[in-house]
Formats: sequence, structure tokens, C-alpha cells
Amino acid sequence: MDPATTTVLIIGGTGAIAFYMAWNIGSNDVANSMATAVGAKAITFKQAVIIAGVLNLVGAVFVGSHVTDTVRKGIISTSGIDNHVLLLGFIASLLAAAIWVTLSTWKEMPISTTHSVVGALIGFGLIAGGTSTVIWGKVGSVAASWVLSPVAGCILAFIVFKIIVKTIFVKDKPVAAAKIVGPIIFGFTAFLIVSSLFLKTSLSKNYGFSDIDGLSIAIVVAIIVTLIGIVLLRKIQAKSSEDYATVEGIFRKLQVGTSCYVAFAHGANDVANAIAPVASIIPLARGEGIGATIGIPYWLLALGGVGIAVGCMTWGRRVMKTVGGRITSLTNTRGFSVDFGAATTVLIASKLGMPISTSHTVVGAVIGVGLARGLEAVDLSVVRKIVVSWLLTLPIAAGTSITIFLILRGVFG
Amino acid sequence: MKKKGHIRSPVADTFRRKSPFGQLLKHMEKVRECIDLLGDGLIRYYKGDYKGFSDITKKVSEIEHEADLIKSNIRNHLPSTIFMPVDKGKFMTTLQEQDKILNHAENLAFMLDMRHTKIPKKLREVFIEHAKLVIKTVGAMEDSVGNIKDLVETSFVKREREQTKEFIYKVHRLEWEADRKKIEMTQGIYKLEKKLDPMDVYHLLKIADWVDDIADHAENVVDWLRAMMAR
Repeated sequence: MDPATTTVLIIGGTGAIAFYMAWNIGSNDVANSMATAVGAKAITFKQAVIIAGVLNLVGAVFVGSHVTDTVRKGIISTSGIDNHVLLLGFIASLLAAAIWVTLSTWKEMPISTTHSVVGALIGFGLIAGGTSTVIWGKVGSVAASWVLSPVAGCILAFIVFKIIVKTIFVKDKPVAAAKIVGPIIFGFTAFLIVSSLFLKTSLSKNYGFSDIDGLSIAIVVAIIVTLIGIVLLRKIQAKSSEDYATVEGIFRKLQVGTSCYVAFAHGANDVANAIAPVASIIPLARGEGIGATIGIPYWLLALGGVGIAVGCMTWGRRVMKTVGGRITSLTNTRGFSVDFGAATTVLIASKLGMPISTSHTVVGAVIGVGLARGLEAVDLSVVRKIVVSWLLTLPIAAGTSITIFLILRGVFG
Repeated sequence: MKKKGHIRSPVADTFRRKSPFGQLLKHMEKVRECIDLLGDGLIRYYKGDYKGFSDITKKVSEIEHEADLIKSNIRNHLPSTIFMPVDKGKFMTTLQEQDKILNHAENLAFMLDMRHTKIPKKLREVFIEHAKLVIKTVGAMEDSVGNIKDLVETSFVKREREQTKEFIYKVHRLEWEADRKKIEMTQGIYKLEKKLDPMDVYHLLKIADWVDDIADHAENVVDWLRAMMAR
């Protein structure tokens, strides 16, 4: 076989595995991250698919690069390893992670795609270069972020819900209060999204925006969004003095916005880290080495986006039905708090280049609202399952990755 | 493939499919249905109209059974890892007291149906007044429990807590009035003891006690509700 054909074959094969991974993310992770919005009936299934497909893509393209870099270069030190071995290793890691995700889907284990990818990379690093290849300090901080991200989601959601209670529910005219507070919170959401788009991203680099430019754009957008919100909510009238249903109705509208926020943050983190091994494989297959300057090809991210949309449409329907049907007790103010807390955490983590799990952060946020006496009942048994599953994920993904790597090396090495 | 369809859904798994408070309200609906039915029957019984009372007894027993199913459903499906805005133990005690209203209603209905005791003309008035007070007490209790929806929705803000407390005070007041009425009834029965058949006296006293028990348990419900709210 001539090298060109091999390259095409490798890229094609990797693309197929990447698509499969994206399908996994779409059918399961997206449904989990959008669950609160669908459960609170803020968006329909169709809207969820569209929002998820488009905004995951946007998040992955514009903000995801930090996370991708961490996964690509932060977990294992690639300097001492031969390019050919690296290539096989990344393929093995991607395949191992994808297999483990599928298996856990089948077994209904609440594992995270992120954890699988990191675990698989560690496994490959260990077998290819020994313990010194793995950058343990970075792995440690990544593992710490897995504990910290649900806690951060919990705290943020708690605060947001408390703010809603203190500024709306306590008031004598809750609906009138919601008409003012709602747009302000919404403007703040817009500020976070826009500033994350312009601060230290490829977008700001390409168009030469400084941080101050980015912030001022974000502030302007936030003010516009707030004003639009006030205008849109202007006509809503309370039916009685304790018309909590209308307050929920206002938040239902706002929740469309936060579910976009969640999809965006999810794209920035989960999608980016799942695509990371692929981003490493392609330059390696072309014989270019794993340089620092190589950006992620846009067609790859597009492939990821399409994979997510397909996953959402094929299997996501059933997942969302289950998820949405099961959380009927979730009202819009709660869903809003959960989404806002979780998405902000994930976005900040993405900015810091920390690969974390969106689903687990959402679970943390749900508990936060529960702690604020906002939910009728939260079953904590899932927390135990999450801890067990992520303790299992690392060794199992690592083991699978090692096995696949050894087989690949036996065949192609 | 299993029924659930192989889904990793940690988010959905943290939610209970049926909310405990919704179930509590559903149980309360049974209390309402039962007391409405029995209250009507009781007043007609006091007036000497026993027609259809056996049917009422049967119906009350059915309602009690349905409520029992709701109660055990709540109890059996609250896992130890549950995390609620109120104390789980207090929640269960509230439910238990609410269920006792139904148990007492059922016992009362059976007892009344077993022996059609004629209420002396002189006492009829006070008996009916007492029954009405007890029904009102249960009604006020239903209002207090019903307000839990707003409490949970607003995550227990002061205004809603105060509102629930108002309902609770109303229950206390009505229960106290019912108690006074019951003393009046008992005094009346003892005044007539020479003229009445001993078996009648026994039954009249028993009816007074058992009807009043219903108001007592309604009061217990709201007391536990109060404790539950305070956390």
C-alpha cells in the first residue's frame, strides 16, 4: 500500500470511530444535559435536537480548543514516543473509550465520555512509555476537577435558586418581580456566553479583538438582551396575587435561553475532549508530528456536530422521552437554576482547559437546588453510582486501551 | 433489551417518578371524599334516617383501602438516600396521622351501622352541631395540607409559611370548639341516663368519642405539618 492510501484509510477509519463517538455523545450525553429543559417542558424534543446540534458545534469550534489541547497534550507527554506508536495509541484510546461508553450505555452506568477518554489515554501512555510518560500532575488536577465540578455546579445552582426565591417568590407581587429579575438574569447569561466567545478564543484572535473589546461587546449584547426580555415580558399579567404559575411561565421562556447555554457549554467541553484524540491522529497520519500549532480541522468538528445531531435524532428521542418523562416534578424556575449553574461551571472549566463531565455537573446542580429546599425529592443513590462508575472508568478504559493498542501494534507494528 | 431501553441517565435518576408531596395530596383527596360522604351520612343518621347507611359504610371502607394503597406506595418508594425539603420522618408521621382519620372514619361507620342507635330528641341538635364542627375541622386541615403546594413551589418563603400557619390556627380553634361541644354532648347524655336504655347510653358515649377522635387526628396532622415546615 502506498503512503497516501494508508493516510486516507487511517483518516477515514478514525473519522468513522469519531463519528461513532459523536453519535454516543448525541444519543446520551446531550440528552442528559438537556434533560432539565425537556423535563420542565421548556423546549420540545425537536427544538432540543436543533439547539443541541447547532450550539454544540458552535461551542466546540470556538471555545473547545483549550479542552482539546489539554486532552491531546496534557495527559501524556508525547515527546519520547515514536510517531507511529503515537498514531496507533490514539486510535486505540479513541476506540477503547467509545467501546466503554457503549458498554456503559448498555449497562446503564452513569459514566462520562470525558472520563473514558482520559482513562484510555492514561492506559496507552503507561504501556507506550511507562509511568513517566503520564503527566501525573495534570492528571491529578483533571481528577480533582471531576470532584470539584459537581460541587461548583451545586453551589452555583443553589445561589441562583436562592436569588430567584429572594427576589421573586418572597415579594408581594411575584409576577411583577419576575418580569424585572428574569430579563436581568437573562442578560447576565448572554454576557457569559458572549464573553466566553470573545475572550482568548480563535474568534477573537482572527478578528483582532482585545479582552476589553470582548467584554464591551458582551456588555452591550447583555443590555440589548435584557431590554428585549423586558419588552417581550411586558404584556404578561398576574392572574392573582400568588400566581406562581405565571412566574413559572416566564421562566419557561427564559429556559429556552439557558438550554442553549447548556448546549453551548456542553459543546465546549464534552465534544471537544472526545474529538481530541482524532485531532491528534490526523496530523500524525500525514506525518506532521504532534505540533503545538496545529488547529483542529473544522471539517472534523463539523463531523462531530453532525454525529451529535444524528445521535440525538436516532437514539436521543428515547433517552429524552425517558429523561423528560421521569422528571415531571421539575418546574421551570428549578430547571433554570440547574441549567444556569451547570452551564456556567462547564463553561468556566472549558476556559481553564479542564475536561469535565456535563452530566455529572448537572447532577451536582440538581442537588444544589434540592439543598435550597427547591425540589420535592432528590434521590442521592445516583451520586454513589457516579462515584463508583468513575472509579471504575479509569482502570477499565485504561485496560481496554492497552489491549487494543497491543493488538494494533501486533498487526501493524 | 430491557424496558428502560438502556440509557445512562444520571440526571433523570435523581428524580423520583412520583413526587411525595403530590402523593400526600392525593391521599388527602381520599380523606376529603371519605369525610364528605360520612359527614352527610352521619347527620342523616343523627336525624334517624338510616336509609343507605350500609352503602355509605361500604364506600367508606373502600376509600380507606384505596388511601392505604397510596400510603404504602409512598412509604415503600421513599429510599433511604432520599433528599427532601422537609424532614422525612415528620413527613411520614403527617401522612400516618392523615391516614388515621380514615381508619377512625371506617371504624365509626361500621360501629354505627352495626347498631342503629336512636339519638334522643333533646340531644339531636348538639350532636349535629358537633358533627358539623368536626367536618369543618377536617376541611380546615385539608386547606392547610393543600397549601403545601405553594410552600414547595416558593421553597417555603415566609408569606406562604404564615398563610399555612393561619390555616393551622383555624384547625386548632375548630378542634377546640368541637371539644367543647363534645363536653356538652356528654353532659346531656348523663342527664338523660335514667331515662335511657344503658346500651343506648353506652353507644351514645361511644359515638361522641369516636366522632371527636376524627377532629383530634386532624389536629395532629396540622401539628406535624407545622413541625415539618419548620424543618
